[in-house]
Amino acid sequence: MSYEVKNMNGAAVVALTGDVDLQTSPAVRQKLLESLEQYKRIIVDLSAVNYIDSSGVASLVEAFQVSRKKGSTFSLASVSSAAMRVLSLARLDKVFTIHPSVEAALAAQG
Amino acid sequence: MQVSKAKTSKPKPSDADSKPPEEERDHLALIADMTREFGAANDYKAVAHTALERITKYVGAEAASLFLLSDSGDNLVCVACYGPVDITGLSIPAATGVVGRCVISRKGLLVRDVSTDGDFGAAVDAKTGFTTRSLLVAPLAIGKECLGAIEIINRIGGDGLFSEEELMLLETLARAAALAINNFRLTHKIVQQERDRHELELAAEIQRDLLPQPSTRDFPIHGINIPARAVSGDFFDIMTLPDGRIWFNIADVSGKGMNAALLMAKTSSLFRCLAKSAEHPGQLLNAINNELCETNSHGMFVTMVGGLFDPALGLVRLTNAGHEPPLLFDARTERFTAIPADAPPLGIAQDIAGPDGFPVRELYLAGGTLYVFTDGLTEATTFGGGMLGIDGVRALIRDHADQSPDLRLKSIAGAVKLPGQSLRDDLTLLVVEDMAIAPIGAKAPAASLETPADEQILRIRVPARADRLKLIRAATEQAARFCEAPEPWMFDLKMAVDEACQNIVRHAYKGREDAGDIVIDFVRRGGALEVDIMDFADPVDPDTIRSRDVSEVRPGGLGVHLIKSVCDEAKFLPPPPGVGNLFKLTKRLPSKVN
Repeated sequence: MSYEVKNMNGAAVVALTGDVDLQTSPAVRQKLLESLEQYKRIIVDLSAVNYIDSSGVASLVEAFQVSRKKGSTFSLASVSSAAMRVLSLARLDKVFTIHPSVEAALAAQG
Repeated sequence: MQVSKAKTSKPKPSDADSKPPEEERDHLALIADMTREFGAANDYKAVAHTALERITKYVGAEAASLFLLSDSGDNLVCVACYGPVDITGLSIPAATGVVGRCVISRKGLLVRDVSTDGDFGAAVDAKTGFTTRSLLVAPLAIGKECLGAIEIINRIGGDGLFSEEELMLLETLARAAALAINNFRLTHKIVQQERDRHELELAAEIQRDLLPQPSTRDFPIHGINIPARAVSGDFFDIMTLPDGRIWFNIADVSGKGMNAALLMAKTSSLFRCLAKSAEHPGQLLNAINNELCETNSHGMFVTMVGGLFDPALGLVRLTNAGHEPPLLFDARTERFTAIPADAPPLGIAQDIAGPDGFPVRELYLAGGTLYVFTDGLTEATTFGGGMLGIDGVRALIRDHADQSPDLRLKSIAGAVKLPGQSLRDDLTLLVVEDMAIAPIGAKAPAASLETPADEQILRIRVPARADRLKLIRAATEQAARFCEAPEPWMFDLKMAVDEACQNIVRHAYKGREDAGDIVIDFVRRGGALEVDIMDFADPVDPDTIRSRDVSEVRPGGLGVHLIKSVCDEAKFLPPPPGVGNLFKLTKRLPSKVN
């Protein structure tokens, strides 16, 4: 698992790659919360996520809740089929704002 | 008394005291000669005949005979005689007649006129046509024991009357004869004992051959049998089936000695023979029980633990028929689990089980070792003099856990068997080892054309740590691919297994660094893939792990919901001994598109 945070038009685009599981989700959670400290807009790019487990999903949920408190925007973009399967099983596909691509997310948040 | 047909003169008891002195006879020379002959004799009967002839002629009598008590002591039997009538083999009741009186009193008797002796029985004379007038009888006495008597009949020389001196002579000769007879009997007994011992050795050798050969180092089952006597009432057996599963048993026949050994031979043959067609140990032990009951075993019975071990799964299926409870030992937790008897001993009551046979228990060794033993171990005397007991057995198992199985058996047996001393009871001990993780796919029956009903796909054992979850997912993917499951199906199963294992890491082992292992079995059974997920932590109350309400948006509590969403069945099962928790996932395989 690896992650990369890019500043795109003032938004933090957090790109996750690989498996987000119990081993790696603490680092993902940490990075998301840090980004929420620094940015008002967060876009999580899930295009290269092969697998995400309940702990990874929980990190996304927590970041989403923090953003609501802060009045920031938080959205998911380019969700891989693997990640989408888990999100839909968890019925979270209706909770998160999900965009087909990072560009679409930026445009929507802009 | 009949009229005499013999050509002897009528005895004159009245003038016995006035009997003239006999011509000088060399009593000493006769005694010396005959004692030597008796002493050198191999067969006292041949010597007795010659001796009777010599003494008859020496004394000047008509006949002589030697009577010995039968083995039962009820009869006196003539074993040698000299005279006009051969009465060898003649048997008279032991307590009757003049000879009987002599044997009972162990005293020599001089009867000058049998017609005046109330004990004299004329029946023999009536049978043989011989006429007895006078008798000289001496006991064949050894210490307080009396073997029989020698009698001399009808003095014909001199005045026709036996003398006290002749009685003393006969008594002396009888003592020599008694010694010779006794020696002969002792020698005969020793020879017989030696023959019996040899027979026993042959039996012991045959019995040892009934036990399996010592197992090789990498074989999962090892056994040891130490008989208390030459032959054993205990036995064990190990038999590998063509598919790799291994039958084993250990048994203890009630009683010791040859009768127990013979029943042991019968039972072990039944085990070997019936195991080849039995499906499980409950069925097998039930069949052995019915066979044993069919023939009378004189109140003897057999306690037995019979098991079928699948080394690929580390699974023991076991039936305990009245036997000492086997112990499953986990060296990491030092925890023992005893497997009690679910059925009575074999050979007592026929047809007591239903069509499925006796109850069967399933034990996953899960890295542990199963110890099966006879009460010769628990009831053995220790160096301290006390009985070892079950606690002593447990201590020995714990103390020697790090040794190789072969050495461990010898160490445990050596702790109760002192060199040069025999055991109180036969001692038999068997260990079934979990040979760690079985080679992947070792049990997959490659040659089968049909899909087997119950097929082991893969078993993995990994430390319960977050950094191993990726490996668990990879293994799950491979197991699903092996079953030719499509990608989405595979992904869902992978997620369910991952979530279940995650719960073990987080909740069962509470995220500890020194957490134990997780064992996962992937088995294809009846069109579904079954995943048994086992841990060795303290049992978890399944009620504390609930599926969360998904409408509630909050972190955590999602795992069980995900598992239940993608599996056909997901439940905690009663864990087998040695296992903390068993969580079973079942997911039906999609039917193939034709």
